[in-house]
Amino acid sequence: MKVDRRSFLSFLIGGAAGTALSPLPWKLTDDISIWTQMWPWVPVPERGEVTHVTSACTLCPGGCGISVRKVDDRVVKIEGLEGHPVNDGGLCTLGLAGAQLLYGPQRVKSPMKNVDGRFVEISWEGALGEIAARLKELRESGQPHRVACIAGTDRGTVPELLNRFLTVYGSPQFFRVPSIQDTYELTMYLMQGVRASAGFDFEKADYVLSFGSGLLDGWGAPVNIFQAHSRWCERGGKLVQIEPRQSRTAAKSDSWIPINPGTEGVLALSMAGVIVKEALYNADFVNHQASGFDSWQRLVLESYDTESAAKMTGIEASTIVKLAKEFAGARKPLAVCGRGKGQTPGSLKEVMAVHALNALVGGIGRQGGVRTVPEPDYIDWPEPEMDAVAAAGMQQGRVDQAGGSQYPHARYLLNRLPEAVNSSADSPIQVLFVSDANPSYSLPNSKAFADAFKKIPMVVSFSSYLGETAELADLILPSPSYLEQYEDRPIAAGYARPIVNLTRPVVEPLFNTRSVGDVVIELARSLGGTVATAFPWDDYRSCLKETLGDKWTVLTDKGYWTDEKFGSAGKPATFETKSSRFEFSNAEIDALARFAPVEPEGDIAAFPLVLVPYDTMRLWDGYIGNPPFVIKIVPDTVLKNNDGLIEINPATADKFGLQDGQAAKLTTPRGTARVRVHLFEGIMPGLVSLPTGLGHTAHSKFLAGKGVNVNALIGSVEDAATGYEAVWGIRAKLDKA
Amino acid sequence: MKVEKAHKFGMFINLDKCTGCGSCMVACMAENNVPFREDETDKLISVAWMRVYKLSNNKPFPDTETSFLPRPCQHCEGQHGHSPCVSVCPATATDYDANTGIVSQIYTRCFGCRYCMAACPYHVRLFNWYDPVWPDGMEKSLNPNVSVRMRGVVEKCSFCFHRYQLVKERADYEGEEYMAEDAYQTACTQACPAKAIVFGDLNNSDHKVHQLAQPDNHNGGKPRAKNVFRLLEQLGTNSKVYYHSSKEWVRRLGDNYIPGRDEA
Amino acid sequence: MDAALIPKGVKRCPIWKFMAGLTPVVLVLLWGIYAMLLCWLKGLNQTNMNNAYGFALWIWADLAVIALGGGAFFSGFLKYLVGKDELKNIINFAVLIGFICYSSALLILAIDIGQPLRGWFIFWHANVHSMLTEVAFCLTAYFFVLCIEYIPLVLENRQLDRVPFFHNLTHNMHETMAVFAATGAFLSFFHQGSLGGVAGVLFGRPFGFREHILIWPFTFFLFTWSAAAYGPCFTILITRITEAVTGKKLVKDNVVWLLAKISGWMMLTYSIAKTADTIYWAVVTAPAKGFVLSDFYTSNALYGYWILVLEVGICGWLPALLLVFKKTRENRKLLWLAVILGVIGVSLNRWVMVLQVLAVPVMPFIKWILYYPSWQEVATTLLPVAYGIILVAFSYRYMPVFPQEAELNPIEPPAGEVAPSELETALASDTQEGDLQPVQA
Ligand SMILES: Nc1nc2c(c(=O)[nH]1)N[C@H]1C(S)=C(S)[C@@H](COP(=O)(O)OP(=O)(O)OC[C@H]3O[C@@H](n4cnc5c(=O)[nH]c(N)nc54)[C@H](O)[C@@H]3O)O[C@H]1N2
Ligand SMILES: Nc1nc2c(c(=O)[nH]1)N[C@H]1C(S)=C(S)[C@@H](COP(=O)(O)OP(=O)(O)OC[C@H]3O[C@@H](n4cnc5c(=O)[nH]c(N)nc54)[C@H](O)[C@@H]3O)O[C@H]1N2
Ligand code: SF4
Ligand code: SF4
Ligand code: SF4
Ligand code: SF4
Ligand code: SF4
Repeated sequence: MKVDRRSFLSFLIGGAAGTALSPLPWKLTDDISIWTQMWPWVPVPERGEVTHVTSACTLCPGGCGISVRKVDDRVVKIEGLEGHPVNDGGLCTLGLAGAQLLYGPQRVKSPMKNVDGRFVEISWEGALGEIAARLKELRESGQPHRVACIAGTDRGTVPELLNRFLTVYGSPQFFRVPSIQDTYELTMYLMQGVRASAGFDFEKADYVLSFGSGLLDGWGAPVNIFQAHSRWCERGGKLVQIEPRQSRTAAKSDSWIPINPGTEGVLALSMAGVIVKEALYNADFVNHQASGFDSWQRLVLESYDTESAAKMTGIEASTIVKLAKEFAGARKPLAVCGRGKGQTPGSLKEVMAVHALNALVGGIGRQGGVRTVPEPDYIDWPEPEMDAVAAAGMQQGRVDQAGGSQYPHARYLLNRLPEAVNSSADSPIQVLFVSDANPSYSLPNSKAFADAFKKIPMVVSFSSYLGETAELADLILPSPSYLEQYEDRPIAAGYARPIVNLTRPVVEPLFNTRSVGDVVIELARSLGGTVATAFPWDDYRSCLKETLGDKWTVLTDKGYWTDEKFGSAGKPATFETKSSRFEFSNAEIDALARFAPVEPEGDIAAFPLVLVPYDTMRLWDGYIGNPPFVIKIVPDTVLKNNDGLIEINPATADKFGLQDGQAAKLTTPRGTARVRVHLFEGIMPGLVSLPTGLGHTAHSKFLAGKGVNVNALIGSVEDAATGYEAVWGIRAKLDKA
Repeated sequence: MKVEKAHKFGMFINLDKCTGCGSCMVACMAENNVPFREDETDKLISVAWMRVYKLSNNKPFPDTETSFLPRPCQHCEGQHGHSPCVSVCPATATDYDANTGIVSQIYTRCFGCRYCMAACPYHVRLFNWYDPVWPDGMEKSLNPNVSVRMRGVVEKCSFCFHRYQLVKERADYEGEEYMAEDAYQTACTQACPAKAIVFGDLNNSDHKVHQLAQPDNHNGGKPRAKNVFRLLEQLGTNSKVYYHSSKEWVRRLGDNYIPGRDEA
Repeated sequence: MDAALIPKGVKRCPIWKFMAGLTPVVLVLLWGIYAMLLCWLKGLNQTNMNNAYGFALWIWADLAVIALGGGAFFSGFLKYLVGKDELKNIINFAVLIGFICYSSALLILAIDIGQPLRGWFIFWHANVHSMLTEVAFCLTAYFFVLCIEYIPLVLENRQLDRVPFFHNLTHNMHETMAVFAATGAFLSFFHQGSLGGVAGVLFGRPFGFREHILIWPFTFFLFTWSAAAYGPCFTILITRITEAVTGKKLVKDNVVWLLAKISGWMMLTYSIAKTADTIYWAVVTAPAKGFVLSDFYTSNALYGYWILVLEVGICGWLPALLLVFKKTRENRKLLWLAVILGVIGVSLNRWVMVLQVLAVPVMPFIKWILYYPSWQEVATTLLPVAYGIILVAFSYRYMPVFPQEAELNPIEPPAGEVAPSELETALASDTQEGDLQPVQA
């Protein structure tokens, strides 16, 4: 057939018209658009049976109860447990993003061994065998005291099992990660004669005087305090925040009083002086329930008159007087300290000064005051039998000298561990276990911790996540995450009542993990002898169940146990001091170094600024690395691309010729970092501030490499009275980059 | 046949209580399958249905004051349901539901013209500039009640509409006519550790949100309660999110005022 | 080589020269296509648009080309409905420019939307309340009208015209062109208006919002008016540029002057209306929403009062007056100036009504948000420009776009004629080259 141009064109046009009129293009168009609604690379969450599991959040010491929504065997959403005494349905950002920790890329999926800087998978038997062999060796050579353990807390069955293991093995080197709890516990001991925690009845207080405590930035049991704050809004409670930078807490306070950093104790003592001088104190308490008042008041009146305090603190004398009168005049005043989230123990005498303020107004043990919260008592295992090696080992001193002649009161001085390891040719610690802690990221002078961990021949991490310390470990024995196992958590920091939470396996463990409790029991078993007999349980689960006794039923049923009646009868506080009274001062207290403001490290000429880290509710800076959702909501005034922003008062920035958003180099005596400038009117001139919780080098790509780890820029400063970590900042300079 | 009075779901946010903690943002992301990327610091392309703004009185140290303002979709009613965004969408991919007062977003209908974004003065509407990607395994935490959005469409706060649907389905199934106040609550309300957010039916005088906001329905829903305001009241968006602040400067930042005409 | 395709009675440069001249344009085109593919395959993250700038360079380009393409409908309206017959000498070109502008606009929209494969939802799920719906319907319909208007021109190509079917089709289409012109004008009045309505109805955006007449905001009318006023300016400008590039006079002055005069009066009346609108908006509309003029023009690095002065004064009133007065209108340089200013003015207006609307902070606690386009946006915006140049070049080369060309440029100029321009000399000498048949053969 001959196709001429004309018929060809006709065919073309006819064909086009025909196709257009047929259903084909319409069908195709429709199909294509349906395809855009279900692109194969866009996940479709599967439907399934919806269940809710009651459990507990352990991501901070805040003690929240959670209700986990599951679809079939998947965790879909974590919500606050309604009716839980601590958080009643509320939850912080971290708790809400918990599923991202469960499923996130930072999980350690099986035991790992560090071979020349690379992690390779290893079997549980292989890993435990290696550790047991080394432990046996040390024990046989009479050096059991060269094994140490760092744990996030010393409360609960897991830390207690670790501690028990060290004891029967023969090592006194158990460390708990420091916090304001250390100082408060010691204060309770020295002034009230009890081994207990301080609990703060924020809910009932009507005038809260906070010496830099980030009450709305993650201090204590965060959600509980948030709810207390909301009640103050409703009922007219007042919050006075004393700190040099306007934190979230300061922003929400009724009165923000900027103070020269480090002089909070001066203000507390000076206020006490005003209260004493004007006899505004609770005479009933001071006269009938307290002792040592006279010598204490003499000291206060002599050294901290309002005029000199004004000079030191930068707060006008009249303001100090006014604050003192307001505080003493309030119905239920409550003073609290511990900077930021309270992750640094700080100065003992500062805490005691603040505690004394509470005592002056009769706030010890009263509603809306400071409660004496006893340590949990359900862990009542029989004293272990110790063999000779263990007994000898336990006689060796602690490497950090805690409890020694210099610092007789300190229980744990983790801050002193790096120096002890790094300064000796042969590390005094040969094997180190790390559980629920990430010191080489989260503690001041973090680099020294990293150096120490590199030097210790065998570091064993129990971490569920590949954090900085885990990365330095020789072996990682991953524990299941808090959503995959039973564990008791007898804490809600600063909470005014004893409380125990129980986590439970919301889902079956996703990976090849074992709980720390099980690992300890297995290790003990493989060591044999008295070490093995100290752990008579089949496994951790039966240990936990047996230990909790009748609490087990309540805990598995409700998720928490609390002493409902605690403190409600209005029972006055009992003091177990020599005088059976509250002791403003006594021989033991007076023997300790006197209060003096902690000075920042560095030479003022070379470092004209002062760097103060700040804690924020939007970032968490402990063992847990912030999951993607939490990083996602970090404002762009805090993190921009990978640069951390440093806050500086516009007037100060002007002096140094720095513009908003400009890149700059931050230098402290401990290190340097690239930052960007963020002008903020809410920070005292002369200071610069960086958030804690950024600058990770590990975990996952959603977290690593973002911002600055302020702990790498500040050193450690010891409290003269206790040896506790007391650093609050460091001198610094900021240059254009 | 059941004759039911239309609901008008709305929110009351107490800015005195709000601490700016961001729990509402994260709760929303977890509930609503909001994706995340490695770098989320460009807030202009970051998807967050709830956003907490930091407000300042802009005074120098130490008189500077800060407040926080959480901003979900305001679910504007405009006049007769002509919300700024709904009326402009050419493909009817967003809708004002007269039964609930909720402004919906239908992702599979949206073709990404972004006109609605231009229309919304609150920067509520967000575009999916990127394909959503969940690292291996993380897709397990996705909520099957909320569809995952694809690249190229607009999304926004839905007042957790899927939760309403679940409650409604159950209620219909069980023949109930009354929807209890706590039966339908949004994820942000539920999570807020400060209990700063109150959610409920503005048309139901038993609901707390009605009592706190006291909307004047004869006057475009204007709040009658003291110290309560809506964002950009003068635009006539007739929104359903009410804010409370005891601070004058915060309330003033809720709208634009003309010096000389509107006294401070 | 392509001599057989070249219209009778006119001269064209050799094909290699034609191709060489187009090479850089083709490169730009390819660059644009690459960027377009990136946007389609990787998504709109390739742009610098963001959640504050849902509309940006592309939508501006869209509105601008549609305004500039307005010469087509308005010339058609004048020729077929008002009866300005002289305009037949420029109407082909106006239609061509219109076709280019509208096809570009549709292409840009197809790149701009996040889900191009669902683009047809705008028709299928149409929301009658939306200005964009109106735009989409009228724009598409008008594009078909432009195709119908452009097709006869294509079919008038010498070779195509030989096909009797095409010849007859062309003839019949010419007969009915008035109907299409009328339809086109009607559609254009609406979609130009609706494009104005896009910003004018945004009651949440005080910079764009305007009072309404019935269901239409003032901007509805202003946009139609300005497209009618400035579209012809653009037709004149492109005609002049084509004349400059080809070195030939293609349209007689009286035709251009007529169009310029009408354009001038439209611009003048538009400027009056725009000024009145601006004053009313500044004094009544915006303050009712809590805004004063300074809120729109201060506290940012780009948008100052200058923009208002430039748009309404220097690019509004000034060119209007230049075109209204015979003396300035018929001055070659001033005509150039006036049409250039006019084109800038209407483009600036479209920029302001798209981008400044979004830049102005509405919530008191946020700041101005400024934007600059990514290279992908620039490339895809230049893509239609390149495509337009190519289409003009091909159309000019192979179709009788300018009916007066042959008359104005006789092929064998009698000796002693005015010296041809350099380009013309080149063109003239080139046609003698090789074994090509002389065109007039
Ligand atoms: N995650 C998620 N789950 C959902 C939904 C969602 O949106 N997301 N949507 C829900 C809804 S609305 C629905 S309707 C359901 C649909 O759920 P299903 O009813 O499971 O729908 P399909 O996946 O289409 O599966 C239908 C099956 O029938 C087969 N089939 C096709 N034609 C025939 C036939 O002629 N005879 C027989 N015997 N088999 C045939 C197909 O191959 C396919 O295996 O899913 C529900 N579940
Ligand atoms: N290719 C393919 N196509 C299918 C099917 C299939 O299996 N394959 N299944 C078909 C079936 S059985 C069904 S049921 C359909 C389901 O298709 P759709 O009805 O499109 O269902 P979804 O994908 O769940 O999308 C519903 C969307 O509506 C929005 N939405 C939620 N609440 C409201 C509201 O109150 N009002 C409005 N306006 N929007 C709301 C949500 O944001 C959600 O994105 O798909 C059909 N199409
Ligand atoms: S405050 Fe602490 S315990 Fe509570 S949800 Fe947050 S991380 Fe978990
Ligand atoms: S969760 Fe509550 S307190 Fe936190 S930012 Fe949101 S509204 Fe404010
Ligand atoms: S806040 Fe914005 S997105 Fe929400 S209804 Fe109003 S205009 Fe629409
Ligand atoms: S982006 Fe989607 S929802 Fe918004 S106007 Fe366009 S089609 Fe409608
Ligand atoms: S109401 Fe629901 S969708 Fe809206 S911000 Fe709150 S959690 Fe997100």
